[in-house]
Amino acid sequence: MNASRTLVLVGHGMVGHRLLKTLHAQDTAGDWRTVALAEESRPGYDRIALSSYLTGRTAAELSLARPELLADDRVDLRLSTPATSIDRGRRTVTCADGARVRYDALVLATGSRPFVPPVPGHDLPGCFTYRTLDDLDAIRGAAVPGRPAVVVGGGLLGLEAAGALRALGMVPHVVEMAPRLMPLQTDEGAGRLVGGLVGALGVGVHCAAATREVVAGPGGRVRAVLLEDGGELEAELVVFSAGVRPRDELARAAGLAVGARGGILVDGDCRTTDPLVWAVGECAAVRGRCYGLVAPGYLMAEAVAARLLGRDAEPFPDEPDLSTRLKLLGVDLASFGDIHARTAGAVSLVCSDHVRRTYTRLVLASDARTLLGGVLAGDASAYPVLHGLLGRSLPASPERLLARA
Amino acid sequence: MSIVVIGNGPAGHRVVERLRHHGHRGPVTVLGAEPVAAYNRALITSVVDGSLAADSLALPRLPGDTRVRLGTAALAIDRAGRTVYADDGTAYPYGVLVLAMGARPALPGGLRTLADGSGLPPGPAAVVGGGILGVETALALRRAGRTVTLVHPHPYPLNRLLDDTTGVLLAARLTAYGVALRLGHRVVGRRPGAVVLDDGEVVEADAVLHCTGVRPRTRLAREAGLAVGRGVIVDDRLRTDDPFIHAVGDCAEHDGRAVAGLSAAWDQADALAAVLTGGSARYRPAPLCVRLKAPGLDLAVLGPPDAAGDETVTFTDPARARHARITLRQGRVTGAQLLGLERAAATVVQCYDRRLPIPSGRLDLLLGRAADTARGPVELPESTVICACNHVTKGALLRACREGARDLSAVSAATRAATGCGTCAPEVRGVCAALFATEGS
Repeated sequence: MNASRTLVLVGHGMVGHRLLKTLHAQDTAGDWRTVALAEESRPGYDRIALSSYLTGRTAAELSLARPELLADDRVDLRLSTPATSIDRGRRTVTCADGARVRYDALVLATGSRPFVPPVPGHDLPGCFTYRTLDDLDAIRGAAVPGRPAVVVGGGLLGLEAAGALRALGMVPHVVEMAPRLMPLQTDEGAGRLVGGLVGALGVGVHCAAATREVVAGPGGRVRAVLLEDGGELEAELVVFSAGVRPRDELARAAGLAVGARGGILVDGDCRTTDPLVWAVGECAAVRGRCYGLVAPGYLMAEAVAARLLGRDAEPFPDEPDLSTRLKLLGVDLASFGDIHARTAGAVSLVCSDHVRRTYTRLVLASDARTLLGGVLAGDASAYPVLHGLLGRSLPASPERLLARA
Repeated sequence: MSIVVIGNGPAGHRVVERLRHHGHRGPVTVLGAEPVAAYNRALITSVVDGSLAADSLALPRLPGDTRVRLGTAALAIDRAGRTVYADDGTAYPYGVLVLAMGARPALPGGLRTLADGSGLPPGPAAVVGGGILGVETALALRRAGRTVTLVHPHPYPLNRLLDDTTGVLLAARLTAYGVALRLGHRVVGRRPGAVVLDDGEVVEADAVLHCTGVRPRTRLAREAGLAVGRGVIVDDRLRTDDPFIHAVGDCAEHDGRAVAGLSAAWDQADALAAVLTGGSARYRPAPLCVRLKAPGLDLAVLGPPDAAGDETVTFTDPARARHARITLRQGRVTGAQLLGLERAAATVVQCYDRRLPIPSGRLDLLLGRAADTARGPVELPESTVICACNHVTKGALLRACREGARDLSAVSAATRAATGCGTCAPEVRGVCAALFATEGS
């Protein structure tokens, strides 16, 4: 063991883990040792598959840390050990247990916290967030089969939560401010289809609706959610999934610059205003913008790992690939590229099959051949092919490409 | 049998022409209130823009024993005596009476007759009402080099026919064509050389054309005690509730629909002529088809705006103000709107009229370009990205296979494909399997 340099990694989520794994896989000279500070009591796990924890998969199965990584003596993973402060002058990080760790490089991968809208009653017993395995344990403990539950937020995570509640036997209602579900991944037509399909599964869909208050019953627990339009939804429990906020408090306290809308400000190389400190994943505001998807986070992690090893890496792209494909509540959905046809001169072709209940939107450049993006709902099996053709001329008619999968 | 036709418009003219075609030899009398011979009303806007002379609209002279009384208006129908009294002081006895009085503008100052279309005062014009006739008139006036303002109370013209996207893009095209639009407004007054809008704006207009719709002419029928709704009510044989009296064209109401337009009038006239000559013909309304053509502006509207189907195809090109929405049932058009897609419109109209399925390759159809007629699996270009997470192209996978990788894990190890989210694994296998199949490894 002759590692000469110490990396302190704050956060062992999916992106932090990717950095750890990549760095040590590529550090063939053994230059680095890493002290990874994890806030949770378990190593990083697959948060994308979080809901499967309620349908049978175990925490061990979701864990990202292979035994060989934990056994690697270049890796010092400290669980339940959140960082509490950074002293950039002394190049140390202080942990909750009082330990102080000196670093040669510091990577912040602190992730996000769920945003809970500050409505009255948001902190009543029976209100939950949906981000960690602990959250899911709490929800499972509170679930009452056959009873209604309200999910505040109809984005990707909100529908995940609704699906989980349904799997627990509850009757979920989703409240979304936007006029459609999953407003970031859908256009109007796809959103309408998804709303219809999800509704047909017995999920109450309430779009263009804002939560005014969570009200308690006689026992002091959640009883109902009141909407701005005066409506009332009975609720045994409430899950907030109304977006996330980057966890930048450690960086702020250390005097590092943050983005205008939060997040640790980094350049295209993921370096903060201190050249020894980096930020990756959801906590990083790359050129001022935060990304709530894992793929851009992985891109950051791999680039930083390369740079720590003194290698070149591509700067983070100005227009990163924010494509998503997911299957929520049995509804297949994918979106990629310029889904709203915002590129100058872009045209769109939309095919809605009212019998199969599928919706396909292809966005093409002004030549009506070059693929700029698309939305697939109800059946996204053509997604891999179409996504692979992004920016390229379609080699066949859209119907043939859609039928190919 | 003596036949009297009241009205010398396209419908009345067509009835007589078709009667002769079917071999009717008896005398026919046509009473025309206008002092000019029958003409093709559909082309009035061509007189407005000066592209046709007024007399070139005339319909052919009617053959056989046909008396046409121009400038002669019917005053009353004596059903018991089967006689029409006219303002020339003559009584016209009939065996069969055909009502083809047409319609008149809902407001005075409307564009309906040749007299309305020719002899407009020169200078800027205002067209009031953005229906089909209003839009066509505005375009015609613009073609004639006039300054034109179109005033319409809805957010876009043809609002009863179009969906929002088509409507907004049509408005953009009209503006680009030089028609000044005042949408969401009404004319509330007139001044010399101008009209006043409801927001107080004064729009310069020496000529004002009201295109705010037409009403069936039904007074004669009503006074004769015939059943009248919006128009004179007829059955599938174009017969009123008096077995000796029929009605066709814009004055008739069939199946709840009156003022169905020129092509419906022609269809009704054809059916009636067949009925009167002993045929078993029945009038069946043709599917709705509205076509608007002007340089740089091509609009087709087929079927009702809320047409039902099992599939909807939409194409939108906002930068070029092109839009199409086609509703299909088992591949056949049940409703469509196409704006600025002239070649596609021609094909779709044909398929719609003949109830044929539209060709596959819909994007090519819509854009009027050669269709991709190939069949079988699509060969993806080698630049296709198969693994998005690690940006591995099909070409890179093929190289890995040729260099010896034989299964997914070997290909993944060589290229990193399918080591990210993993969803591309089937696609990676597919690319490799296709290669092995063709190269026989």
